[in-house]
Amino acid sequence: MSEESRTTNRPLPVERHPMQGTCPRCAAEELRGYPVNSEGGWFDVVKCQSCLLSVSRDRGPRLGPIRLLSDLL
Amino acid sequence: MSNLGIPATAPTRIRDLTDEAFRAAYGCDRFTASVIVNRLKYAVGHMSTAFLREAFSPIIRDWYDFACTISGPPEQDYRTAVVSNSLTPFLGTMPDAVRNTVEEFGPTGLAPGDVLICNDPYRGGTHVNDVLFTRPVFVDGRIVSFVSMRAHQLDMGGTVPGGFSATKRDVYENGVVIPPVLLWSKDQPVRSTFSLIFDNTRWGAMLLPDFKSIHQQLQLGERLVRENIERYGPDAHLGALAYACDTSAELMREAVARVPDGDYTGAARIDADGMDDTVDYTVHVTLRKRDHDIEADLSGTSAQARTCINCGISDAKTALGVALTMLLDPAIPFTSGTWRHLDLVAPPGTLLTALPPQGAPMMFWEASGALIAAVFDALNPVLGENAVGGDYGSTNTHNANGVRQDGTPWTSATQCGGEHGPWGATKAGDGDSYTVLFNLNNLDPATETIEHDSPVVMLRKEHAIDTGGPGAHRGGAANLKDTLWLTDADHYLSPFRTREPSGVGAGGGQAGPTGAMWIFPPREGTDGPAGLVATAPDVYADSIPVAGVLDPETKSLDPVNGTYHHFASRKTWRTRAGAVLRCLTNGGGGWGSPFARDPEKVLADVRDEYVSIDGAARDYGVVVLGDPHFDPERLRIDMEATTALRRARNRG
Repeated sequence: MSEESRTTNRPLPVERHPMQGTCPRCAAEELRGYPVNSEGGWFDVVKCQSCLLSVSRDRGPRLGPIRLLSDLL
Repeated sequence: MSNLGIPATAPTRIRDLTDEAFRAAYGCDRFTASVIVNRLKYAVGHMSTAFLREAFSPIIRDWYDFACTISGPPEQDYRTAVVSNSLTPFLGTMPDAVRNTVEEFGPTGLAPGDVLICNDPYRGGTHVNDVLFTRPVFVDGRIVSFVSMRAHQLDMGGTVPGGFSATKRDVYENGVVIPPVLLWSKDQPVRSTFSLIFDNTRWGAMLLPDFKSIHQQLQLGERLVRENIERYGPDAHLGALAYACDTSAELMREAVARVPDGDYTGAARIDADGMDDTVDYTVHVTLRKRDHDIEADLSGTSAQARTCINCGISDAKTALGVALTMLLDPAIPFTSGTWRHLDLVAPPGTLLTALPPQGAPMMFWEASGALIAAVFDALNPVLGENAVGGDYGSTNTHNANGVRQDGTPWTSATQCGGEHGPWGATKAGDGDSYTVLFNLNNLDPATETIEHDSPVVMLRKEHAIDTGGPGAHRGGAANLKDTLWLTDADHYLSPFRTREPSGVGAGGGQAGPTGAMWIFPPREGTDGPAGLVATAPDVYADSIPVAGVLDPETKSLDPVNGTYHHFASRKTWRTRAGAVLRCLTNGGGGWGSPFARDPEKVLADVRDEYVSIDGAARDYGVVVLGDPHFDPERLRIDMEATTALRRARNRG
């Protein structure tokens, strides 16, 4: 296998959904919603993309994107 | 304040609280809080010492592949306040593991004397061999804490005895997955759970006494927690748990604030997966730092691998916390609070956020270790003298099995590859030459126990010359290990970062070189080599290359013009009795300009054979005269030639 013929597995992006409103700290109109993992696990947040203030921060699904079939029992 | 009661900011530093405010926040005075936290550290230390003394499994007894923690009750969101002095991949993932395990089982379904277990990497991080054991501590009918252990089991089923292999393609090949279930109920063993495990592992007879010991240590931990509560009261106990986490959070907050605001990107690469060498994997991180917060975005990281070299989100989060702790303030206690001001943003289904069933995690620390390297890559340029050189990048794990002449099977795991190696240099001094990766914290198995447990002879275990990254402070030297196998054997070999240096330089230091692996078959008509295999470049022509970038003819290292050899080009490396396996790790990165290194230190390195006479001149501009091997006491520096050489290099 030569160095020229190998490839890097495709990169994946994070989707950040635009949200209405302005940041109460820096007044930037750049609020986005997306999941984060931090102390306490998964959270669905709306954050200012300029100063990173969490405008809202709600507990997310326990295992994030993973759903258990057993949860349907 | 979030809707979960976790402070988003800490407007008043803990040390600035009045005594009244401290008592109101933590249920006791600050002296008592410190005493309780230290008594809990004693508890996890006592549990660890007892388990280390009693364990039968070599990976626990000789590697210290286990950890103990104490966490808060559900009302405190199971935050982990105290951890043992052991490997960070366990300590960092156990907060999520305990919470996810207990919440799925249901905390109201627990009773005094229960031991709940889970080994699912997607629920709690790491890999299926690592089983979480958690035990609620009840006081007056209410859960006030969890005492927990996670311990590596030598085998948990799957297609590879021992488990350490990059070749498994999905969770079904990886090993048995245990969801949250009771192993002990009210201190009575749950036979069905024991049978589930023993019917799937190859080493049940070894696991059973270790499980019994874990049960004893959890009872010990519970007793020590209850003694604290009897002495200081439950409010003081719960307050001390919160105090421990808040302390970590505050120190990390202040450490982050010292980094200039900005967006910093870094990357690291893993050579290949266990399928073939057509695809490599990039870990990419953007650290967005504002004020006292960091958001780490893993966008740009490669999609999950086709075989089990992935890790899960908890492992990635742990690696982020480890990297920032090491770079920003190594004195920060490792608790749940470490991540209070860190948000990890991660696309699902990457190498670092793998999803079942195809994204199997087995060699998880290799992927999460690459994230540590990427964080170093991102922050080193802005840290000035606090930048740190890279480590050897991969544990180059060896896993083998076979059958002795009397028919008894054997398994050797994580002992005879390049599991131990160097760290990079720092502002404080040269890098250590024989430790474990940045994200590990383990012991080194003794040669005597390795040779006792498996049919193998350790021929070499030594520092390789001219492999520490040159710098004002030298990177740690690569480790070279030769093992002679006395029976036929099936080997699984997993060196993941031989294509480019992992031991990157910092602050003008240079990288340590890449390593490799080779097998030397027994000489025809014999049962072994004629003697020790030498270390000169001309010894490899008759070898079987396993990994590394090597010269096509001589098969010696040639990182510039050589050809990459894929560690899983054979899924199993089968050897005849008498074969020798050689593992050479990567070298550690240097710190600062090598031409600023004190010539006396270079002379000492030549004396100790970390650096050759040629290397001293080439890499450091220091001319050393004499014979380091046969007349080391008369080595000396030619100061005039050194001054001239360094002056010429500086001009060039």
